[in-house]
Amino acid sequence: MAIVAHHSRFSKIAWPVLAWIVALLFFFPIFWMLLTSFKTDADAVKPEHLLFFTPTLENYANMTENYDYWRFATNSVIASVMATAVTLFVGIPSAYAMAFNPSRSTKDMLMWMLSTKMLPAAGVLYPMTFLTKNILGIFDTHFLIILVLSLINLPIVIWMLFTYFKEIPRDIIEAGKMDGVSTWGEIREILIPLAWGGIASTALLCFIFCWNEAYWTVRLTTTDAATLSKLIEGNRAPEGLFFGRLSAVSTAAVGPIVVLGWFCQKQLVQGLTFGAVK
Amino acid sequence: MGRILLENVTKSFGDAQVIPPLDLVIDDGEFTVFVGPSGCGKSTLLRLIAGLEETSSGTITIDGLDVTQVPPSKRGLAMVFQSYALYPHMTVRKNIAFPMRMAGLSQAEQDKRVMTAAKSLNLVDYLDRKPGQLSGGQRQRVAIGRAIVRDPTAFLFDEPLSNLDAALRVGMRLEISEMHKRMQTTMIYVTHDQVEAMTMADKIVVLQAGVIEQVGSPLELYRSPCNLFVAGFIGSPKMNFITGTEAANRHAHTLGVRPEHIAVSTQTGAWTGRVSVSEHLGSDTFLHVHETGLADTLTVRTNGEISFKHGDIIHLTPREEMVHRFDAAGLRIS
Amino acid sequence: MSNRTLPRLLQTPAVLLLLIWMLIPLSMTLYFSFIRYVLNSLRRPEWTKPSISNWRGFGNYEFVLNNKDFILAIQNSLLIVCSILFFTVIFGILIAVLINKSFPGRGVVRVLLISPFFVMPAVNAVLWINMILDPVLGLQGLAVGGLNDAIEGLRNAPLVGGFFSLWPDFAPISFRATQTSAIAVIIMVTWQWTPFAVLIFMTSLQSEDQQQKEAAILDGAGAWSQFRFLTLPHLSRPIAIVVMIQAIFHLSLYAEIEIVSRGNGNKNLPYLIGEFANNNIGAASATGIFAVILANIVAFFLLRMIGKTLME
Ligand SMILES: Nc1ncnc2c1ncn2[C@@H]1O[C@H](COP(=O)(O)OP(=O)(O)OP(=O)(O)O)[C@@H](O)[C@H]1O
Ligand SMILES: [Mg+2]
Repeated sequence: MAIVAHHSRFSKIAWPVLAWIVALLFFFPIFWMLLTSFKTDADAVKPEHLLFFTPTLENYANMTENYDYWRFATNSVIASVMATAVTLFVGIPSAYAMAFNPSRSTKDMLMWMLSTKMLPAAGVLYPMTFLTKNILGIFDTHFLIILVLSLINLPIVIWMLFTYFKEIPRDIIEAGKMDGVSTWGEIREILIPLAWGGIASTALLCFIFCWNEAYWTVRLTTTDAATLSKLIEGNRAPEGLFFGRLSAVSTAAVGPIVVLGWFCQKQLVQGLTFGAVK
Repeated sequence: MGRILLENVTKSFGDAQVIPPLDLVIDDGEFTVFVGPSGCGKSTLLRLIAGLEETSSGTITIDGLDVTQVPPSKRGLAMVFQSYALYPHMTVRKNIAFPMRMAGLSQAEQDKRVMTAAKSLNLVDYLDRKPGQLSGGQRQRVAIGRAIVRDPTAFLFDEPLSNLDAALRVGMRLEISEMHKRMQTTMIYVTHDQVEAMTMADKIVVLQAGVIEQVGSPLELYRSPCNLFVAGFIGSPKMNFITGTEAANRHAHTLGVRPEHIAVSTQTGAWTGRVSVSEHLGSDTFLHVHETGLADTLTVRTNGEISFKHGDIIHLTPREEMVHRFDAAGLRIS
Repeated sequence: MSNRTLPRLLQTPAVLLLLIWMLIPLSMTLYFSFIRYVLNSLRRPEWTKPSISNWRGFGNYEFVLNNKDFILAIQNSLLIVCSILFFTVIFGILIAVLINKSFPGRGVVRVLLISPFFVMPAVNAVLWINMILDPVLGLQGLAVGGLNDAIEGLRNAPLVGGFFSLWPDFAPISFRATQTSAIAVIIMVTWQWTPFAVLIFMTSLQSEDQQQKEAAILDGAGAWSQFRFLTLPHLSRPIAIVVMIQAIFHLSLYAEIEIVSRGNGNKNLPYLIGEFANNNIGAASATGIFAVILANIVAFFLLRMIGKTLME
């Protein structure tokens, strides 16, 4: 680093300042939403109250009354937690098989899995609705949402897990084989403990994607299993007059996830780039 | 017991045949070393025996039992990996006990065996540490401990010492040799290291491109290598090869003379040459001699006291009874 | 049983599930795309059942191809995806280089920067289109209003008044209109995904070979040459990955389009399908098949481009 040290004083100050400005700009919309959530609906649209206003918690207090927030939030939690669990349950053995017992078709298999993510959901929306409503009768149930969320996240989850599993030295798995572990033992005793960090961040990311999913959750539910995405999308009509309460409910919908995201940002890179960027 | 028999074993990865048909007998209690250049298939052969790779054809028998289709854990073998392959999330104690836990041994028996192994390997003070908190040598001892407690019919080592520094290597080498003397269990040991091969082995197997070039005791290989490859591979510094009239005079295509079998004189000798570099190792001096008319360079090993400068003319005399003769196909003429 | 069979079998549940997930709806879509099938029809009630007797051959496809919305939707899909890719990569590299050196509060800057990525797309859209971009009540409206008021005030000021009286009033832009709604979508998705690109590029920059850089400095390379000949090539792989992952997510962009324009403005392909599906399932399905084909073309190139490097 010695060579890089002789920067002008100007760039020593300007550089961080610029970085901070960019960061604040990017964070501003979230900050604005947070700020607005403490304004009354009336204050929220008045220029004179842009920054100076009497903060109120009224929007949060009335969330249930205005929006039935808790029902949607509960549904979101149920759907995301269960879908993440199901995805990992199916994904871990699969990624294990691909990472440690690859066959000639493994690579193509992974590519194919990823390519299913590219199929436009809209292309199969109608059949899905038809199937679940008229034939299977599972429309607007937790079961359906959990199933769909699991399926759409499965490719990414398998890819991420595959990446993490690949990093485990083969020798250790083979030592396990010599020591007499069964296949299940290998997964339980060696793989999961060793890849624990990777599995946890995969789970976290899967949870975030489930929580934020806004196509199927909106279209395959009406009330019973509707998640926060549906709440936000469904309530955008008279929003102009209700910035305060809309901000409150939005903040409550994204707040926990953003905070979760802060904790897994590093692993997120590693996982999402399939280990290609270190 | 631990007699391992390979018959017509082959291994291909895709289209590439790494091991052409190969037969090998490893006798009970023998310390067998596989040597050969990098990529010649030593590890592959070891892993075939371990069951970590499936044979493409042929049979592997252990103590009379065909184990070709038997999974690794059921073959009764223990393996020590170059990377140690310890379970990083378990303590030393758990690492060593792991194979016994998998085999369903009682807790008391596990504790007893862990203690015995730890004592013999000087690991008692480290039993509650994780592998990450150990030195390389200690880790390797844990890996050996994990192998010992299983009481295997044979031990397989894949370059177990190559990640250690020179001093530690010597120590561990002796420890493994002692262990073998004590337990009298079959051991198969893969290495790159001449010294390891020569000092530890009862039997050395020299491989090239998956083919066994020669099998024999270290001294057999040193004294009567069966072909040019083995002659050049065993021994350090490498054997000198001489072709041309000098070889024809002795009714051979190629002559092989080890550096330590050439006498040096300033006055007279059979051959004459000019010293280009002399390497002083303290105990020995290696002279690289040019302009002999026999080969590009002749390497000569003399005692550490002798000193020649670059450009000195010297006279060399081979010990006739130690000159190896090879025919045009590279095979030994005896 | 060979000792490899069970481990390999472990991947079958996932494979089967994905296969079903893909094939069943896809084959139904394919079937519907060849029949006349509408949800409500007073004139032809027989068309409201998905029956083989309503076979229409390629009629739905013709109908879709002749629909001017279809070409527009494809153009829009590509415009939106490509613009987002372009901006996120450019901004991503710039910001990553900006925060690559350590400075006070870098950790906080990182946290602030990455936050948009975790915002729910629905909230993202609602937030931007209403509270920020709305021409009257949003920050844009307020800012333009404030600016106009300020100019108005300056017009009456002594000295400079004459100059400002030449200025027109600014008019706020409505981002719900046909042309501008795509811009709104591009803005909000770029805002959401730039952090992702930054994070990946930054991670990659940190693994850049410092000795190589120092050697280049000794060779007399300036800051720009270093960036151009060392950093940029080093980033090529992360760029490919950013492009691939975003393409996967943005080809099926829906919530943002829906919330921003509710169909008055720009439609992309998924949105057009949704619109057809309100009644004409046959046409929706045919459009769906087109979308699948488009996705496959993109997927083919992307996976070809990236697949090799990923598997090492
Ligand atoms: N899983 C595999 N797939 C394809 N080829 C392989 C595989 N494992 C080994 N090979 C090839 O088989 C040959 C022998 O490899 P092996 O690891 O046995 O060599 P080695 O003698 O142990 O070498 P080294 O001394 O470097 O460890 C090499 O050419 C290697 O490239
Ligand atoms: Mg090897």
